[in-house]
Amino acid sequence: MFYVNKLRDICYRNDFYLSLLLTKDMAGSWLGAHIDGVLLHAGDVRAPADVFGDIYQVFLILGTLVGVVVIAYTLYNSYKYRAQDGAAPESVDRPSLGELPTSGGGGRKLFLSFSISAIIVLSLIGWTYTTLLYVENEPAQHEDRMDVDVVGHRFSWEFVYPNGHSATGTLRVPKNELVQLHLTSNDVFHNFGVPELRVKADAIPGQTTTAWFVGKETGEYAAHCYELCGSGHSYMDATVVVMERDAYREWYNTTSGGNETEAVKP
Amino acid sequence: MSSHEHGLPPKSSISRWFLTTNHKDVGILYIVTALFFLVFGGVLALLFRIELWEPGAQVLSELSYNQSVSAHGLLMVFWFISPFAFGFANYVVPLQMGAEDLAFPRLNALSYWLYLFSGLLFGVSFFQGSTFAGGWTMYAPLNVPAYIPDGALGATTAVLALVMFVASVTVSSVNFLTTMYRMRAEGLRMRDLPIFSVSILLTVWMMLFAFAALLAALMILSADHIIGTKYFVYQITQSGAVTRTVGNEAASLLWAHLFWFFGHPEVYIVFFPALGVMAETFQTFAGRRLVGRKWFILSMVLVALQSFMVWMHHMFLTNINLTIKTVFMATTIGISLPFDLMMFSLIYTLIKGKVRFKTPFLFTLGSVILFIVGGITGVFLGAVVLDYQFRGTYWVVAHFHYVMVGGATALFGGLYYWYPKMTGKMYDEFLGKVNFAMYFVGFNLLYFPMFVAWETPRRVFEYEAGLTVWHQIATIGGLLLGASFLVMFYNLFVSLWRGADAGDTPWEYATSAEWAVSSPPPMDNFPGLPSYRDGSLSFLSESAVAARLRGDGTASTDGGDPTADGGVATGTALDTATETHLETEDVEHADHASIWPFAVGLGAFLTMLGLSGVQQGTIVGTEYAALLGVGGVVTFGSLVAMTREPFHAPEAALAERFPYADVEKLKLGMWVFLASDVVLFGAFIGSHAFIRVAHGWREWHNLIPAEHVTMPGLINTYLLLTSSFLVVLAMVAAKKGSRRGTVLSLVGTLALGIGFLVNKALEWQHLFHVHSEAFPQGWDLSTNVASSTFYLTTGLHGAHVAVGLVICAYMTIRAWNGAYQGDPDAIEYFGLYWHFVDIVWLFLFPLFYIL
Amino acid sequence: MTRTKLYVGIYVVLFAFATVQALVEFAGFLESAYWEAFAAIMVLSAIKAVLVAAYYQHLRWEPRSVSYLVAGGLVAATALTGAAAFSIL
Ligand code: HEM
Ligand SMILES: [Cu+2]
Ligand SMILES: [Cu+2]
Repeated sequence: MFYVNKLRDICYRNDFYLSLLLTKDMAGSWLGAHIDGVLLHAGDVRAPADVFGDIYQVFLILGTLVGVVVIAYTLYNSYKYRAQDGAAPESVDRPSLGELPTSGGGGRKLFLSFSISAIIVLSLIGWTYTTLLYVENEPAQHEDRMDVDVVGHRFSWEFVYPNGHSATGTLRVPKNELVQLHLTSNDVFHNFGVPELRVKADAIPGQTTTAWFVGKETGEYAAHCYELCGSGHSYMDATVVVMERDAYREWYNTTSGGNETEAVKP
Repeated sequence: MSSHEHGLPPKSSISRWFLTTNHKDVGILYIVTALFFLVFGGVLALLFRIELWEPGAQVLSELSYNQSVSAHGLLMVFWFISPFAFGFANYVVPLQMGAEDLAFPRLNALSYWLYLFSGLLFGVSFFQGSTFAGGWTMYAPLNVPAYIPDGALGATTAVLALVMFVASVTVSSVNFLTTMYRMRAEGLRMRDLPIFSVSILLTVWMMLFAFAALLAALMILSADHIIGTKYFVYQITQSGAVTRTVGNEAASLLWAHLFWFFGHPEVYIVFFPALGVMAETFQTFAGRRLVGRKWFILSMVLVALQSFMVWMHHMFLTNINLTIKTVFMATTIGISLPFDLMMFSLIYTLIKGKVRFKTPFLFTLGSVILFIVGGITGVFLGAVVLDYQFRGTYWVVAHFHYVMVGGATALFGGLYYWYPKMTGKMYDEFLGKVNFAMYFVGFNLLYFPMFVAWETPRRVFEYEAGLTVWHQIATIGGLLLGASFLVMFYNLFVSLWRGADAGDTPWEYATSAEWAVSSPPPMDNFPGLPSYRDGSLSFLSESAVAARLRGDGTASTDGGDPTADGGVATGTALDTATETHLETEDVEHADHASIWPFAVGLGAFLTMLGLSGVQQGTIVGTEYAALLGVGGVVTFGSLVAMTREPFHAPEAALAERFPYADVEKLKLGMWVFLASDVVLFGAFIGSHAFIRVAHGWREWHNLIPAEHVTMPGLINTYLLLTSSFLVVLAMVAAKKGSRRGTVLSLVGTLALGIGFLVNKALEWQHLFHVHSEAFPQGWDLSTNVASSTFYLTTGLHGAHVAVGLVICAYMTIRAWNGAYQGDPDAIEYFGLYWHFVDIVWLFLFPLFYIL
Repeated sequence: MTRTKLYVGIYVVLFAFATVQALVEFAGFLESAYWEAFAAIMVLSAIKAVLVAAYYQHLRWEPRSVSYLVAGGLVAATALTGAAAFSIL
């Protein structure tokens, strides 16, 4: 029952089916109106963390189900058709040494089960594809988003704010703000990820990648490097601090184009 | 029966194993060597599993940890799993298809020695300061010297070891393809090959192309190390400050593309032989034929083709665009579907079976279960939004171990399955089952917790304290898995003496031909010429073959009319084969011992080791220079000796050769090699194009001095075109029997080729020393990325020209002594190569001189 | 004998095409109409390559399967180059 509810929940909260039927604007305004009349800030946005959570759960449930059924069926067959001593003579045609290989029967069953598995896989992927489009396109819908540059160094993270302020080791962001990261690297290939906020992207020298998140709860979130970058890789962490909007604004006003280094682990 | 040993010492003699070219011996060498590298890689793994017992670095230093992780991955993926599978391929495939040996037995031995020595070379890299520590995926620019602490010697050696390994793979691919297309028993069509052979055939196809792309990547990387080109670095940073930029925005992405273009096919290259073993053992131990065999094979073919179109699913978090992400998501999911079909086919094969739970079957059944888990978790990764989070975590680690080591599980089943055939002895069944139980439990204890603890970043020793217990379970599982191999080795070793006699066919319901001969099979494999003409295997006596050839010669091909005129071909394949067979009746048991493959391998080892001492264009020590010199002499001398050594590998009088019946085996071998060379050059040219697109196609000109003009290129085009034309004339002259014409044309080719190289040398000298405002220091290999791509790509081509010239010189001398008259095959095959080099230039000329 | 004449004819064509490619640059077409000139030059190269393969390597007279073999390598290399370049456009 829990699963059924969960599934329904996901379907309801999913604006992507809608966007398939309606144009983007219509879907947007419908949803906005539906939630609380006007979109005030990004607190109502379905952040990547929510998207991931839902999909992961569905995959986990279905994946476990399929895995258990298929493995159980395999074991059942191998046990059921085990060779038994003194079994009655049988009428089955067995392969013999030196014959040219041919097919055993059972093609119909093969195609049936294949089709079922194909349908499961394709519909799952079709569904997640709509969420991919959402994740890729959403930041552009938010002109009031906050843009931060993230630069990987061996072995620390540097954050550059819109006003040019640069800080190493800590990224501060206001609560309920859509934060778009623009990542690159100063030396080798890194990967910046904040597991709890479900945001991750490669930091590649010479290239810029993007990723976004919304911090809906204040607090500190750990960030790590997810691409081997040398001897200090294991320690290449940072902290993302989600602050109350007022507190953030206050802090931000004290900054200017300067540098700041907060405690980084050794 | 010593004549049947082809001049080889007995197996008990050590020298036998250095001299052998027999496919069964080579197979055993591969298997034993691969198991050695399994232990090597496994010990490293246990080392870092112990390190992971608790968060933080306790046992290993940071750099040692990175080295262990990287070396473990490289050893397992390259030096263990594929070579292990190819041990079976070597041993079993010729038997299954009814061939006496591979098409080129000495090349087969050469593949083995290159493989062994490449692995030893990798081992040496540990003692040169430190070995490569940038992960088995070797991402750029962490893989270039600028970012490798304390000198890159060991890393360079590791890269060169990989180059050597790829050389081995390429030789082997050419050999297997030629064999499988030209040496099947009469009546055995391609579609009739036993399923293990089918899996190997498709594996080899993928290897041929995928490894050529890897070779390109590795050659470029070696050049970045050794001669200082700048392909894989965007900017060089020292303690935070950028000290150098080279205009190469695409550096990191280029490596990712090249590596994964190889890397994804590689995962199927690793997995297909396992799939073959699964299907083979399921049939045998269930006593059923494979359900939907045709569809099973079709699925494999689809996967093999499509495997070249999914690579960017490893790059979803880079800045590739949404369109391409969509395409690669679709192809990734598409490629998982044929696997569903294959798994169901295996499962349904059990139905109505008489399943016997012998050790080989236990392993392959276990393997199917592991693969199901691995496949399902792979679909998670195929959903891009999920992959965004799984990337770089233990989810990926767990997934690929379930599929890859899951595949290896089937290969261990294969080891138990074919052990009685290879040794004539039965292993101990009880110990086999103990082995399996420990293995399977150990495996799941090791890898399943990684799914639970998936939030752990990959390749770190510092992880969240809350996950410690899962990592401890994994470590315990790792130790158990390791211990299971002690049981396996003990069992297999002791059974060599104590095992019961296995007999020809220890497994009821086995069908393929290896079970129809004694265990182990005799040197020549079969008691007569194998034939399936009557629908099942029979062995034809010499007189029956002769009668068949006299009576109805056409029975032997399904590849069209064998007497049709093959154009310029010098006679039909059947005629040639018959002739060789009858002519060589008495030399058929000729000497099949050769030390030269070993010597070439040794020489290559020394050369590569010497080369690792060249860093950024300067040699770091005289010992390296000496190694380089000695190695070069040994390699070249052995190659010449090998060419001059009389060695005859006759083709059977009757064989199935579709669709290459009219292409003589050496010619087919040459074409297969050229196809892989197409990919090598394609990847070089593609790299250039990619870098240029990333930089801005037309802004590229700013990286090139005005002194770089069209004329030298045009002159070289003329020279090369003319030389190609002369090779054609040489062939025509030889066919007509004009010695004078042949020699003159070959000398002309030689002269023009040398002219080409001289012209190029002059041009390079000039460019190295330009003094312009934009390039005050000249324009050399490391000036910027445009100079790097120019020198390296045309340099690779120049190296091809140089190799061609050496062969051409050799042939000129032989022609002078009267060779080739009326028999221009050798000239023709050399021509194929030379014209190919010409064709490559036809594209390099506009790309590097005009556009 | 006619075969030899054919080889000579092809040699002449190859020589001429190479010259034309260089002339396209000397005539300044790369400045005035870069992409058109680019296309022309590459097409000429492709034709030359096909001629060499078909006649000098006599693929024309070999079983088709040999051409497919080489085409396989060509398709793989093109897929790599094309898709990689497209991915960053
Ligand atoms: C059911 C089919 C499969 C699917 C859908 C699939 C999907 C994927 C994806 C998307 C990744 C990239 C993960 C990432 O780095 O973010 C991946 C990684 C990997 N897969 Fe699979 N896979 C499948 C089967 C296999 C098989 C059969 C093998 C090998 C026998 C394999 C070996 C690997 C390896 C080695 C990696 C990791 C490479 C690395 O980053 O070091 N996969 N897989
Ligand atoms: Cu890192
Ligand atoms: Cu892949």
